[in-house]
Amino acid sequence: MGGKVTCTLGEVKNRADLIVYWGGNPAECHPRHFTKYTLTQKGKFVPKGRKDRTMILVDIRETPSAKAADIFLQVRPSKDFEVLTTLRALIKGQRVSAETVAETGLTLEQLQDFAERMKKARFGVLFFGMGLSMTRGKHMNSAALLSLAAELNAFTKFVAMPMRGHGNVTGGDVVMRWTTGYPFGVNLSRGYPRFNPGEFSTVDLLLRGDNDAALILGADPGATMPQPAIDHLARIPTIVLDPKVTHTSRLARVHITTAATGISAPGTVYRMDEIPLPLRPALKSPYPTDEDVVRRIYKAVAKKPAWFPGTK
Amino acid sequence: MELSITKNATCTFCGCVCDDIELHADGERIVETKRACILGEAWFKNHTAERLYPDALIDGQPATLDDAVEAAAEYLYNAHLPLVYGLSNVTCEAQREAVALAELIGGVVDSHTSL
Ligand code: SF4
Repeated sequence: MGGKVTCTLGEVKNRADLIVYWGGNPAECHPRHFTKYTLTQKGKFVPKGRKDRTMILVDIRETPSAKAADIFLQVRPSKDFEVLTTLRALIKGQRVSAETVAETGLTLEQLQDFAERMKKARFGVLFFGMGLSMTRGKHMNSAALLSLAAELNAFTKFVAMPMRGHGNVTGGDVVMRWTTGYPFGVNLSRGYPRFNPGEFSTVDLLLRGDNDAALILGADPGATMPQPAIDHLARIPTIVLDPKVTHTSRLARVHITTAATGISAPGTVYRMDEIPLPLRPALKSPYPTDEDVVRRIYKAVAKKPAWFPGTK
Repeated sequence: MELSITKNATCTFCGCVCDDIELHADGERIVETKRACILGEAWFKNHTAERLYPDALIDGQPATLDDAVEAAAEYLYNAHLPLVYGLSNVTCEAQREAVALAELIGGVVDSHTSL
């Protein structure tokens, strides 16, 4: 995301006095986020730890994370974008009608209080989860939240950070960015990178039946993707690299067992704030690492006559 | 068997990527995960160093790694628009190799981010 105003979790720990979680449930999905990085730690500029910080939770449901929050704002489903744009108007002192706000499930007073707290914070942070970025509005919701964080910098220091999910998804974005210039869904079939989400993103490609072979590693789409996409993976030659025989392995032509990342395979993984961390595996696997296997496949393909765009 | 202790191990189960875990292992499995949360503990204990699966499967039948690598290379080489997908539970080093392979075979490379 270009122009994102963000920071590291270390800065949050040492500086943030207003912590907002939007559309996420860290208590259950990122269990140590509160205690290791955000809420309870004592930091250089927040010496009293939890007492020096205010936490606001915005969600459509009262999750277990609400217990940790000072303020819980329950938004009506699919109204996040409206709440975000109202907040952007309020911090700029524009007039907002109470009836329009009421449609979001919150009152104008609640949002005015929220806006004031954000402006008065010394260092504020907006963490946003899939409850915001994967519901109605999708990337427009994320964009509205990122704009809100950027605009708050006219008053105070404010940053935003996505609550990234499991494994090394953040590393995937970073690696694709430095190798191809784009973060995901990169088409290299013309010999140079092209990026067009919706056209070159996996689910769309599979639903249209564009791919005629697939290599799956570090994921189990057979358990998570829409059925028609899975059906296409079963039709074409699919190759799976995984420490276990997965749902996808069962519909694949080739499965190769690999060592488990971080448990028996060494390497580097990115934290959600894009800090790379080394792995310290505790076990020795009888299987090769994903890195080794991909490199071996690369070498086996490289031995064959080269192809050029348009010659296949 | 004596336990090996790994200090400051890194948990990759969620985006927190906690790097202060102390792992006790008996060579085959991890028996203790100090400072990990319940999700992290389950993740570490769910993977062992045992040989539970064949090295590879081709059409559902056990195969050698060499044959599986050749078969994979053949399928990917012959495809017009191969897809390289996933990249979430692998290291950056493996991701880099995957991008290189996608370029060599003229395919699309994509991750969970696009979902
Ligand atoms: S220990 Fe828990 S919070 Fe930390 S990375 Fe693992 S799953 Fe996430």
